[in-house]
Amino acid sequence: MNGATLADLALLVPELILVGMALVLILVARRIQQTPVAAVGTVLAALLAAFCSGRTWSGGAETAFGGMITVDGYSQFFKVLIAATLALAALLSVRSIDREQVPRAEYHVLLLLASTGMMLAVSALDLLTLYLGLELMTICSYILVGITVERPTSNEAAIKYFLLASFASALLLYGISLTYGVTGATDFAAIASALVKEGPGGNPLLFVAIGLVTVGIAFKIAAVPLHAWAPDAYQGAIAPVAAFLAAGSKAAGLAALGRVGLVAFGSEADVLSAVLLGLAALSILVGSVVALSQTDMKRLLAYSSISHAGYALLGLIAGTPEGVSAMMTYAFFYVFMTLGIFGVVIALGERGESLDGYRGLAAQRPGTAALLLLFLLSLTGIPPTAGFVAKFVVILSAVRAGYVTLAVLAVACSVVSAFIYMRVAVLMYMREPQDAAPSRFPVAVSAALGVAALVTLIGGISPGSLTPWAVSP
Amino acid sequence: MNEYIGIAVAFVVAGGIAAAMVVLGSTLGKKKPTSEKLAPFECGKDPLSSPIGRLAIKFYLTAILFILFDVELVFLYPWAVVYRTLGTLGLVEMGVFLGILMVGYVYAWDNGALEWK
Repeated sequence: MNGATLADLALLVPELILVGMALVLILVARRIQQTPVAAVGTVLAALLAAFCSGRTWSGGAETAFGGMITVDGYSQFFKVLIAATLALAALLSVRSIDREQVPRAEYHVLLLLASTGMMLAVSALDLLTLYLGLELMTICSYILVGITVERPTSNEAAIKYFLLASFASALLLYGISLTYGVTGATDFAAIASALVKEGPGGNPLLFVAIGLVTVGIAFKIAAVPLHAWAPDAYQGAIAPVAAFLAAGSKAAGLAALGRVGLVAFGSEADVLSAVLLGLAALSILVGSVVALSQTDMKRLLAYSSISHAGYALLGLIAGTPEGVSAMMTYAFFYVFMTLGIFGVVIALGERGESLDGYRGLAAQRPGTAALLLLFLLSLTGIPPTAGFVAKFVVILSAVRAGYVTLAVLAVACSVVSAFIYMRVAVLMYMREPQDAAPSRFPVAVSAALGVAALVTLIGGISPGSLTPWAVSP
Repeated sequence: MNEYIGIAVAFVVAGGIAAAMVVLGSTLGKKKPTSEKLAPFECGKDPLSSPIGRLAIKFYLTAILFILFDVELVFLYPWAVVYRTLGTLGLVEMGVFLGILMVGYVYAWDNGALEWK
C-alpha cells in the first residue's frame, strides 16, 4: 500500500466537501457577521455532498484506502440521509444561534465535522475506521451540547455526555481489541472469514467481543440501558443540537450496527440477535413508559427517540438483508419526522420547551398546530404518515424472523406511546391558550419544516418510493 | 545480545556521571544557604499555594498550541524517513496535513490566543 491515490480520494468526495467547507469557515470565523452566511455555506456543502454521494456510486461496491472505506448502495443511502440531516439542522439553527449568542462559524464547523464523522462511520469496512468516524462525530457532539457556555444546564449536560460517552467508547475499543485477539483482524471481511473458519460458538471470548462492540455502538443510538445520557443532553443543549443528535447520531449508529452485524459478525447471528433483542425490548418498553411522566418537551422527545431506537433495532435482530433494509427505511423516515417535530419546538422558541406551552396553540396558529399534529401522528405510527410505514416494515421483519412475542410488545408499546403524543395534541386543540401567540417563524425554519413534512407525507402515501434505495450491504 | 551491551554501557556511564556530579557537588561545594535559596522552586508560580487553587487559562491555551506543533512533529519524523518512497504524492499529502493544522493555528491566532494577557 503506497499512500492514497487520487482514485481513493475520488470516493471520499462527499466527506472532502464537508471538511473543505469546515476549513473555510474556520479561517473566516471572525469575519462572519451574520448567521445566515454560515448557514448558507453549510447547507450548500450538505447539498453538494448529497449530490456527490449519489454520483460517486457507480452501481457496484468499490473500496478505497486498502479496504478501509467502501462506497456502496448502503453507505451512499446513509450519506444522503446524513447530508439531509446536516442541511435541515443548519436551517433550523438560524434563530437559536442569534438568541443564545452561539459562535456562528464554530457552530456550523462542528456540525460539518460531526457529519463527516457520521459519513466515515457508515462507509467503514474496518473496525478502526468505524471507531474513528464515530469518535469524530461524538467529540464534535460534546462541544455542540455545551456550546452555550453561559448556561449552567448546558455545561452539566456536556460533562455528563462526555463522561458516559467516553466510557462507552472504551467498551467499544475493548470489544475491538478482543475481536482482534480472537480473529487476528480488524477489517470486516477478514473477521467474517476467520469466524467461519472457527465454526459457530468456537471461542467464548468472541461472545464478549460481540457484546462489547454492539453495546459500544448502541450507546450512540441511545438504546436502553445505554440511554441515560440522552434526556440530559437533549434538555441541556439548544434545541437544534438536540435535533441533530437525535436524528444524525442515531442514523449513523444504526448504519454502523447494521454493517458490523451483517458483514463482520454474520456467522454469529445467534449471539448478536440475543444482544440486540435485549436492547430493542428494553428500549421500546422504557422509552415509551418513562416518556409518560415527562413535562419538558425535549426530555419527552428524548425518551421518544429512545423507544424509536428500539423499533429500528427490530429490523436488525433478524440478521437478514431484508431486516437491514427495513431498518434503513425506519432510519430514513425517523430522521425526517424527528427533525420535523424538533423544528416545531425550535420555531416556538421558549414557549416550545415545556408541554404547557402547547396549550391552545391550535386557536392561535392553526397551521403550526396541524404541522405538529402530522409529526405526532407519524411518531405514533398512524397511517397515512411515514411513521406507519416505518413501524410496519420493522415489525413485519421481526414477525418473519419468528420473534412474535417481541412484535406484540412493540405494538403494545406503540399504543402507550400514542397516549404520550396525543397528550400534546389534546393540549393544542382542547385547551385555552395561556401565552401570547408566537412570532412569525424565520424563512429558513419554515423551509426545513416544509421539507420534513413533505417527506413524512410522501413516505406515508407511497410507501414503496424508498424501497429501491434501501438495499443492505 | 551483543548489540545491546553498548546501550547498557551507555546507561552505566550516564548514570555514573550524573551520580558523580551530585555527590561531588554536595561534598566538595561551598554552602551559603539563604531563605530565598532554600525555598521550593517552581517556574514562575507561587511555590506555596493550595493544590486545588485556580490556574490561569492562558497556560492551558499555550499547552494546546504546543500540542498542535508537537503532533505535527510526531508525524513529520516517520514521513521524513520514507520520503523517497512516497514521492511527490507524499509531499502533497504532507502539505495538505500541515495546511489543515495551520488553519487551526490561524484560527487560534485570529481569536487572540497568542496575546499574553
